[in-house]
Amino acid sequence: MRMRRVLVANRGEIALRIVRAAKALGLETVLAASAADRDSLAAKEADRVVTLGPALARASYLDASLVVHAAKATGCDALHPGYGFLSERAALARLCEEHGVTFVGPTSQSIEAVGDKLAARRLAKAAGVAMTPGSAKLASAEEAVAFASEIGFPVVTKASAGGGGRGMVVARDANSLAEGFERASVEAKEAFGDGTLYLERYVERARHVEVQVLGLGDGRVLHFGERDCSMQRRYQKMIEEAPASAMPDATRARLHRAAVELLGSIRYRNAGTVEFLYDVERDDFYFMEVNARIQVEHPVSEMICGVDLVRLQLEVAGGAAPRVEQRDIVSHGHAIEARILAEDPRRGFLPSPGRITRWRPPDGEGVRLDTAIEQEAIVSPYYDSMIAKLIVHAPDRPRAVARLRDALEAFAVEGVATNIELLRAVTRHPDFLANTLDTRWLETVFLPHYGQLEG
Amino acid sequence: MSDVTPKDIEALLETFEASDWSEMKLKIEGLELFVSKSSGARPSVGVGEISAPAPAPAPAPAGIASTPKHGAAPDHWVAVRAPHLGTFYRSPKPGAAPYVNLGQHVEPMTEVCLIEVMKLFTSLFAGVSGVVRQVLVEDSELVEFGQTLFLIEPEA
Repeated sequence: MRMRRVLVANRGEIALRIVRAAKALGLETVLAASAADRDSLAAKEADRVVTLGPALARASYLDASLVVHAAKATGCDALHPGYGFLSERAALARLCEEHGVTFVGPTSQSIEAVGDKLAARRLAKAAGVAMTPGSAKLASAEEAVAFASEIGFPVVTKASAGGGGRGMVVARDANSLAEGFERASVEAKEAFGDGTLYLERYVERARHVEVQVLGLGDGRVLHFGERDCSMQRRYQKMIEEAPASAMPDATRARLHRAAVELLGSIRYRNAGTVEFLYDVERDDFYFMEVNARIQVEHPVSEMICGVDLVRLQLEVAGGAAPRVEQRDIVSHGHAIEARILAEDPRRGFLPSPGRITRWRPPDGEGVRLDTAIEQEAIVSPYYDSMIAKLIVHAPDRPRAVARLRDALEAFAVEGVATNIELLRAVTRHPDFLANTLDTRWLETVFLPHYGQLEG
Repeated sequence: MSDVTPKDIEALLETFEASDWSEMKLKIEGLELFVSKSSGARPSVGVGEISAPAPAPAPAPAGIASTPKHGAAPDHWVAVRAPHLGTFYRSPKPGAAPYVNLGQHVEPMTEVCLIEVMKLFTSLFAGVSGVVRQVLVEDSELVEFGQTLFLIEPEA
């Protein structure tokens, strides 16, 4: 099948990125935009723009029928959903399948198979991928202690009937578990009317690592190494790196194998990411979830592997024979991405929409900026606050960090509040330089201190 | 004079369109604006009479009260706009007579066309009493959000 025209069903930098990748492949592009994005950079570069609906995402970008109708009515034979919005809705993929539009992503079946967390865990288990060791329901403190001795301390109790921190007690030895078990059970009983507990291994210091893959749809799955995305605030990634240099090579190889086996088992097609929790102290990883889409942080993998993942997405979707094999994918150097957000860290990360009155992004060797913002552009209040992704590449991590710091220093934005100053402070922090981070570091170590400094 | 640009107005109207508000009144130096999502609405006492010799823009049925300027259409003609992207149909089924013709009198609840999205058909209504003066889209054409489909000359 030869693809000719692709509908880009997204906005912002990823829409622009897809438009450019498609054009580079000789494809025509139609951008399906909301009324708020009619004048965006992606709209200017696309061959055609159609306005789906008003700014409100629910009435435009989140309406699968509108998007597929737009594709059909403009003669598109393919649809790229980008990330966010409808990208992981099996319903969109199915609608495309039913109407002869090539979905640039996995099959609707695959999206369903990995989209549901429990289904994904079953899949991982079947593929032999490690998960956080946990018990079944426990009848007593004695049973809990026996189980904990088996899997090793620390452990955390969890309420069978609900979450939200109720019924959770972290225990580092048998005594504290025996004592904490009753307390947790009472708490769970009060909160959920059911005091039943189970036990899970507690990961003291966890890093978020993930493997970038590209499935060819025939059971072959290529991987492009892993990323470390431990720098998070409220589960939102702020800085991502590749490779995960805090991880030993042998563990890294096992991680890649796990991701490839997991998605190979369902003959996964197109780009995807398998996320894991990495237990730094035990040097072990556990499966978390699969993201069945291109991710925000894909550029760091592109930088170290020297590939264009969006282009590969389009090629795989178009049925073109892949021109890369696993042995061709070799990682070079270190890449870091910082998400530039129009948010005010001094006001609780309040989104700061408005007009960009000054936009002076950094450039130079090893510096890449993925953005759809230009001077005088409006940062819309309707959508995500990310306005750019600053990506640097250097021969090793210390030099990449230095390059990132310099690039952030040179980055001047006026008109909206941003997190640039905060990112600068992060790149100067000794823990970041030493790469001794974990997923709680930003919130528990850095931000309280940053708040004090900034008043 | 305030430095409000057409872009600002557009952004404001989009905010309004996306909100749950039914009306919005704005008064800043050099500008007064009244928009409403109900077709019969007029600025309530207090807004229209402050200064403005020019009347506040008449609210369009689709909710956006910008001034349609298609060809030489008089400013007071009311635009019927597409509420979202879709395929425009002038008649209930292929070969049937159109819902409305040029010069035809319509009432606010007169059905004027269908907009189809993936086989789901939505009726659009005139939203105003008047006479159909222009039909701007061909049958079964793709229309986009906000696109003017008809111009109706309201009755005095």
